[in-house]
Amino acid sequence: MRDHSMSYTLKRGLGVTGISLFLLFALFPIIWVLILSVRPSTALFDPIWENLGDWSLENFGSLIRSNFPLGILNSFITAGGATLISMVVGIPAGFALAKSRFAGKFIASWLLLLLRMAPPVGFVIPLFLFYLQVGFIDSYPGLIFAYMTLTLPLVVWLMWNSFAQLPNELIEAAIMDGASLRNTLLLVALPAAKPGVIAAFILGFLLAWNDFFFALVITRQDTATATVAVMNFISYDSVDWGAIGLASIVLTLPILPFMVIANKYIVRSISGAVKG
Amino acid sequence: MMIPAVVAVLAFAIVPLVGMFGIAVSDYHMLRGSKGEFGLHNFAKMLTDFRFTDSIYVMAVLSIVGVIVQVVTGTFIAIGLHRIIPKWKYARGLFLLPYAVPGVAVALIWLSLFTPTLSPINAVFDLFGVTVPAFLTTRNGALFAITVADTWTTYPFVMLIILAALQGISQDLDEAAALDGATQIQTFFYITLPLLVPALIMVSLFRFIELLKHFPLIFIMTSGGPGRSTQVTNYYAYVQTFQNENVAYGASIAVFLFLIAAVISLYVARHTARIDHA
Repeated sequence: MRDHSMSYTLKRGLGVTGISLFLLFALFPIIWVLILSVRPSTALFDPIWENLGDWSLENFGSLIRSNFPLGILNSFITAGGATLISMVVGIPAGFALAKSRFAGKFIASWLLLLLRMAPPVGFVIPLFLFYLQVGFIDSYPGLIFAYMTLTLPLVVWLMWNSFAQLPNELIEAAIMDGASLRNTLLLVALPAAKPGVIAAFILGFLLAWNDFFFALVITRQDTATATVAVMNFISYDSVDWGAIGLASIVLTLPILPFMVIANKYIVRSISGAVKG
Repeated sequence: MMIPAVVAVLAFAIVPLVGMFGIAVSDYHMLRGSKGEFGLHNFAKMLTDFRFTDSIYVMAVLSIVGVIVQVVTGTFIAIGLHRIIPKWKYARGLFLLPYAVPGVAVALIWLSLFTPTLSPINAVFDLFGVTVPAFLTTRNGALFAITVADTWTTYPFVMLIILAALQGISQDLDEAAALDGATQIQTFFYITLPLLVPALIMVSLFRFIELLKHFPLIFIMTSGGPGRSTQVTNYYAYVQTFQNENVAYGASIAVFLFLIAAVISLYVARHTARIDHA
């Protein structure tokens, strides 16, 4: 029962103004980087409202001539590879954790959470020393293996949650009908948990795609991912701001559709924690 | 198929962990190698290393201020979306955009916005004869700049969680309070806010634990500087390991961070709704 008096209008006006200011905060860096990416280098340091009509594609040229396209390819290979392998190993592991009785479930869930949360600097040190020995520095297997320390615990955790929500009767009925455990997983449980599978793949891929730390330590020239390759636009004596602006957009675009799909799963992936 | 998968996951998790602890109690140096001494000497060194204690202070400042600013911003926007502009269909998606930008791109975008010769913010203030200080060259300015950039990309996470919690609160409660004569502000502070507390605690812990990993923003925007004024503990572990080549000491700092994460994740795990319905 809201009265549409002066004070209501005033309060609503203040609220709308407040939220609009936050919307400005959210959007102006994005608008800025869109402008930056097509700004001619001659006008770069002029105030932004001058020569606003001038735009150029020169940054596309410098981006294509750099090793950034290779970085994008490397990002796809390593993030995709790590996520796929994590799914292959993580789905049966999540299924086993969800549907079998064993002591130490709490320890397992704590460990998975901890592996997701612990700073990666601790994992990267033993990996780095090991890679020096076996020649995995600047190699795809080295980076994919490193990314799996991020993606595998996440995938197992999410699949555990998804499978736990399936009724036990569904699994038991399949086994009663004579299905093997493998067929029960592949033909019964997996189709029923499809939204969880999609969510696990997307969230795992996002995690690896956004990584900077592992790639910084483990890659050199050949397998540098896009997040590391972009740093080549910054040198001691100059910064190619236009290319950086454009590269920031290119880094974001491939995962934007994923984010649209994933945002409801992000809530769900920790909402179990919130309900507690 | 099931048991090997679980064993593989465990091995995958445990092996690097054991490696980290093993290196932390060694004296391994990238260039000098190891003399074969094992013990807690690295942890003793941490106690007297002022660069380490300073890094904890920087981490505490960035984390506490960061979590407060991010949670307040995210909660305000969630309430705004829920109560003030529920009919603006695309507002939610627009508010989520910064969350889609990878950390490296966030750092580069805000580095450009905090570069005085380039930034449109400086240009606008110059019109009014106000000179915006070069934030990244002073201690507090750099901490401020990093907090702003971090808030920009993480408030949507808070917003999503709080929005979900708000949608779980029954509208009947608000209406009952209104019938009893409560003002909207009273309703918010005495009804809505207490019901949001569990979500607020969880989202703060998730943010806090993420801030233990603070890296790309600091590496790209300040490199820990000016001086060591934005060098958080995670960044210090990186510097010791990969710049000073002091691998064992870097690993022991990583162990310290790991133990903090272990305590917080234990709390989170214990307060998580049990996932096994078996």
